[in-house]
Amino acid sequence: MSAPTPPTRRVAVIGAGIVGVRAIRELLSPLGGLGAGPAPTRPILVTRRPDRADQLRSSFGDAVEVRTGDRALPHDVGTVVVTRASDDQLDVVTEQLRHGRDVVSTADAPDVVSSLLGLHDTAVRSDAALVVGAAMSPGWSCLLAAHAATLFDRVDELHVARDGAAGPACARQRLRALRGTALDRRDGAWVRRAGFSGRELVWFPDPIGGRDCYRADLAEPLVLVPAFPTAARVTARLAATRRDRALAPFPVLLPPPTEGGPGAIRVEVRGVRDGERHTAIYGALDRPAVAAAAVAAVAALRVLGGDRRPGAHGLASVGGALDMLRELARRGVRAAAFEGAHSLDVDDMGPSRG
Amino acid sequence: MRGLRRALVAVGLGALVGAILRLLGADRTPTEHGGWRELRGPELR
Repeated sequence: MSAPTPPTRRVAVIGAGIVGVRAIRELLSPLGGLGAGPAPTRPILVTRRPDRADQLRSSFGDAVEVRTGDRALPHDVGTVVVTRASDDQLDVVTEQLRHGRDVVSTADAPDVVSSLLGLHDTAVRSDAALVVGAAMSPGWSCLLAAHAATLFDRVDELHVARDGAAGPACARQRLRALRGTALDRRDGAWVRRAGFSGRELVWFPDPIGGRDCYRADLAEPLVLVPAFPTAARVTARLAATRRDRALAPFPVLLPPPTEGGPGAIRVEVRGVRDGERHTAIYGALDRPAVAAAAVAAVAALRVLGGDRRPGAHGLASVGGALDMLRELARRGVRAAAFEGAHSLDVDDMGPSRG
Repeated sequence: MRGLRRALVAVGLGALVGAILRLLGADRTPTEHGGWRELRGPELR
């Protein structure tokens, strides 16, 4: 799986929205046990807006090279993190892969994620790794699913739910997802279901607690199904209120906030261990922009450290979920396990085998 | 005609009150059994 360590240790972040800027901050913070060798040198942040560039230069000083426009990146850039809005990612990712750079994408729109996964052959030909959906959900949720799966001999079902949104682009994507058509995996086949259907009360970590979640057009099944070929059912749901549901057909007149409030994810894995059926539930609570940026940066550092798999893969498929979760926890982005009446007691299972 | 109008108004008012109650009604959720515990130690080793 591991290829030789890339000769360059410079990272560029394309997209200077709320996630991109936080990703740069994560890249500037000291490395933990992740990746061998020195920390990446002076990262590059690319924005399309000159006014934003001036703002960022005064904020970061010499620690970050802020660039504007679509000028080609320097040759010493080995890894690129693309944090633009999902719809603006495909062309950028394709171009960077053609330059032979490893790419980490935070896209969460299912059609874009599907197109990015379709770049697998392009990435393999360029001997480049493309990590797809490295955000909070998908992303962190994929790491938790991969980690929970190590508790089982066979994974039968994965159910992911999310509450909250990061920046304005993420909030718009959330609304599109709820209004769209969900794609569930059922008995080895893809099944289309209407958005806002299948209401289910889902318990997220405190203080968010119980939220009604609905089917939505989410990318999780697209990245989880290849990682868990034995799973007969893979679903993803999004938390929404009755008001969201009632107002869904109408245009949104108010702009989304610059940054949403705290968000949460919940990953439920059902499977078989020692011949018995069990359920493991992991969850996490953080500001979605903070979590997405940390996941993208940690994935980029791992790739930069030489632990890379050429081709296009979701985070559940690239391996090293435990290392990445440990590094995220070290950076303050922590996950939790649910101990319910019917859930698997992970303490009784001993250390995970991943 | 007058009776029909009254019936329509009554149905409309009923629907309006129902919609308001549905949208603003208390979202009381059932009690949660169990709880969340941070993943640490052996679980992240």
